[in-house]
Amino acid sequence: MILLGKIVLGMVGTGLVGAGVLCSEGLVHVKVIEKRPHGFHINVIAPAMLAPIAVHLAPSRELAQATRQIQPYVPTIRAALEGLRDSEDVVFVEVKEPGEHVHVSKSGGSIVVDVDDDGETVHVSTPIRAVSSTVEQLAAVSSNSL
Amino acid sequence: MSVTMRRRTQIAAVFCLLAAAITALAVPAPAAPADRYLHVDVQDSTKGESVNVNVPLAMAQKILPAINSHGLHDGKVTIRSAEMNGVDVRALLDAVRTAPDNEFVTVKDNDSDVRVAKANGNIIVHVIGKKNKQQKVDVKVPLKIVDALFDTEKNDELDIAAALRALSDAGDILLVTVQDSSQKVRVWVDSRNTQG
Repeated sequence: MILLGKIVLGMVGTGLVGAGVLCSEGLVHVKVIEKRPHGFHINVIAPAMLAPIAVHLAPSRELAQATRQIQPYVPTIRAALEGLRDSEDVVFVEVKEPGEHVHVSKSGGSIVVDVDDDGETVHVSTPIRAVSSTVEQLAAVSSNSL
Repeated sequence: MSVTMRRRTQIAAVFCLLAAAITALAVPAPAAPADRYLHVDVQDSTKGESVNVNVPLAMAQKILPAINSHGLHDGKVTIRSAEMNGVDVRALLDAVRTAPDNEFVTVKDNDSDVRVAKANGNIIVHVIGKKNKQQKVDVKVPLKIVDALFDTEKNDELDIAAALRALSDAGDILLVTVQDSSQKVRVWVDSRNTQG
């Protein structure tokens, strides 16, 4: 009985540590609500760490074009992400029109984009650290393929 | 070590810790410089539209030198000599800098009144549209920022990064106001991260 308890405790502990590691880069949140009868409603919350892992595991041949295109802009993206990381929480852009509202901000270490118009409501939140890791992975793939 | 000696050592240690704590509290830590923001506010009352942009200047200063495209490199932009129209801008600026506060240009024609002046270390431009009396443009740029912009080794370069640094060091300032019957545009710098 005690052995079984230890095994369960070990499994729960491993699961918690795994979940902790997986969520260490924060969570990506994508929410899309279509404003029409029977419109689709998407709500995805995923560990942001999956993005750089996916880039790492993806066949480099498939990423070749993306990495080639991103390569010239990597220094700029790095500088932008560093600047974003260091800045306070701020609303970068807010556009209000009749029937449309766009909001781009930095909030708690994430870039948040909210769009609300007559057709749909979209919310995307991505941790800056995860974007940074993904860009670094893409840059590494690119430099390895050169 | 005797008991008395140990006790004295303990008391001395406590006093040292207290002194250190008081010193640490008495000497304020150097305050981090507050972030400065460039704000743009566009309001169109007839269409009910508004656009607000807030850019942390520190972030812009980090990004700008990393951009190398469209004539922009190391925070500087290269301008074609043709765009200067043969005007020696540096000599012009030097003349303005050394001149006392004054009104330099006044143009009055059928369309608009234009006034360019120097006051309190700022270049000031006022334009008033005559066709529509509500058309008004006000620009106020500190000379330090203009100086930083043109302080480059090459004559055909503008140092945008240096201008941003100068803007960051300048106090709160309303740089541009454009107003007509329906639209209002404001560009200013302050240390608030919102426009409220």
